Amino acid sequence: MKIGIPKGLFYFKYYPLWKTFFEKLDCGVVTSPTNRKVLDSGVKLCADEACLPVKIYHGHVDSLNGKVDAIFIPRIVSIMKHEYTCPKFLGLPEMIKNSIKVTSRIIDTTVNLRGQHGDLFDFAMETGSIVTKDRYAIMNAFRDGLHEQHEFEKRLKECGDFESALKKDHDRNIPRPEKIAILGHPYVIYDSYINMDIAKKIQREGYSIITPQMIEDDIIRKYASKLPKRHFWTLGRENLGAGLSLLKCTDVKGIIYLSSFCCGIDSLMEDYLERQVARSSNMPYMKLVLDEHTGEAGFNTRLEAFLDMVRWREQNESNVSTHG
Amino acid sequence: MNYYLGVDVGSVSTDIVVIDDSETVVDKLYLKTAGRPVDAIKSGMALLKQHLGDIPISGVGTTGSGRQLADVVVGADVVKNEITSHGIAALKYCPKAKTVFEIGGQDSKIIILRDGIIVDFAMNTVCAAGTGSFLDRQASRMNIPIEEFGDRTLKSSMAVRIAGRCAVFAESDMIHKQQLGYSQDDIINGLCDALVRNYLSNVGKGKEILPPIVFQGGVAANKGMKAAFERELGYEIYVPAYYDVMGAIGAAMMAKTESGRKKSTNFYGFDMVDFDYTTKSFECSGCFNMCEIVEIYVNGNIGARWGGRCGKWSTGKNVAL
Repeated sequence: MKIGIPKGLFYFKYYPLWKTFFEKLDCGVVTSPTNRKVLDSGVKLCADEACLPVKIYHGHVDSLNGKVDAIFIPRIVSIMKHEYTCPKFLGLPEMIKNSIKVTSRIIDTTVNLRGQHGDLFDFAMETGSIVTKDRYAIMNAFRDGLHEQHEFEKRLKECGDFESALKKDHDRNIPRPEKIAILGHPYVIYDSYINMDIAKKIQREGYSIITPQMIEDDIIRKYASKLPKRHFWTLGRENLGAGLSLLKCTDVKGIIYLSSFCCGIDSLMEDYLERQVARSSNMPYMKLVLDEHTGEAGFNTRLEAFLDMVRWREQNESNVSTHG
Repeated sequence: MNYYLGVDVGSVSTDIVVIDDSETVVDKLYLKTAGRPVDAIKSGMALLKQHLGDIPISGVGTTGSGRQLADVVVGADVVKNEITSHGIAALKYCPKAKTVFEIGGQDSKIIILRDGIIVDFAMNTVCAAGTGSFLDRQASRMNIPIEEFGDRTLKSSMAVRIAGRCAVFAESDMIHKQQLGYSQDDIINGLCDALVRNYLSNVGKGKEILPPIVFQGGVAANKGMKAAFERELGYEIYVPAYYDVMGAIGAAMMAKTESGRKKSTNFYGFDMVDFDYTTKSFECSGCFNMCEIVEIYVNGNIGARWGGRCGKWSTGKNVAL
């Protein structure tokens, strides 16, 4: 059986797990590259109000449609006890079915770890049973998948680059003493098509990057818990906790928050973080809003100005670099 | 005497200034880009040559959204984003400045300065409401020359409330008020209030706005906008004499520093006004990205190429980042 995995949204979090799981069950796994065609078809097919990553996801489904036996579009309700993912993930399979005539089979099993009885193995069983009746094989494939996922996350923690972490021959982030943090949802900060390759641009200017996935979970949790109220969006909590923890790091010279236009979670969490940063620190901070523009001029101008500012503040004198 | 050139290629205007060793402005030009940046730069340079003769230029700085293109056309020593350029120029004319409002054709920015360095900034994100292009459009819709648009508010006795969040809403609100019979002056006055509200709650959101405040960019010519800012903030707003070419001045100042350091310039010389510049674009079919590649030819030779994601097409001028 050939399974298509759209290269968007939770692909950027769980691809190693899913890929290994299906491959161990003797399925072929296919993805499609993000490019202008995918973007164009996504924008055309998707509901107008959705954010850019959701639109691109639609484009990927469209480009896989008919070329594979099944497309894996899980309904990811919750990946953490007492927490939710974005509302758009909850209805993602429905959104897709409504907008695209999918001729391949859709695997839309549900991940919901919110309540007491949420169990990942139930999800694995349900998903695997579409492929095989052998419960033992499913169990083993899932265990292998989790192992791969764990190894991948370790590599990502070191390099902060999704593609390098995926390949096992990842080269570590060229160690530079000064870091710029890139915050945002994984499917924004690791999709170099959406984010106009921001990580490379920052590295070229002599900084290494740090992302929320490079910070230990318990540190993120500790800082996020400083909020007066416990909050229930997993990705929002991760960004907030990561952002607040970075304010104490002297090697972090600036924070850039990448947000996609009309992201509901960011509209609250990013704003909250921005206020906290301004109130409790001198950390240079910038929010960049991404949408479907392919002209990079506006993006580069803001990034250049931000890095100029960071350097200028560091040196506290008036000589600035001549290019950039 | 050494002279330094600053070129700011923006969406609406192309500004060129020449400063001397003491950073005094010797000449300044404010031209419409009119969708043809290369022609605007060329005609500006020809005008400069006419005004000043073939003076020795010791350094060139370019800025604005067309800074890379300007670099290819004139040969620059410094290619700098407009936020840094505007910040540097504002500090020159108001060394104690703590806040800079800059409103141009398509962009509006706020720059926060403390002790003479940029500590924070913001630019408008997705909406261009309240920038020069919108004012331009309203002026031509009301059949008032843009130069007189701001002065009309001085004759107004009250400001009509206009919706300012969105340019489309603002325009329909203005039309509704006009159909009810409010005077044009009061409507324009209300528009200025609305744009200032929008600017402060959008670009200026969460920023600590402290005086002295410098207001620059093309829209600073509009007296109504200046007055509306003063009413809203309760501080005096300072509009520098060269408010419309501040970006170019900042670029020229950086060019002076840079060419002083390396003791040479990349400037092509005033001969460039006779150079032949052509551009060509095509879609690369090398991979799925289908990048739109632009090529700029100088006298038939490839001067620069950009637009690709992979670096296959980047030759000549280094335009990475």
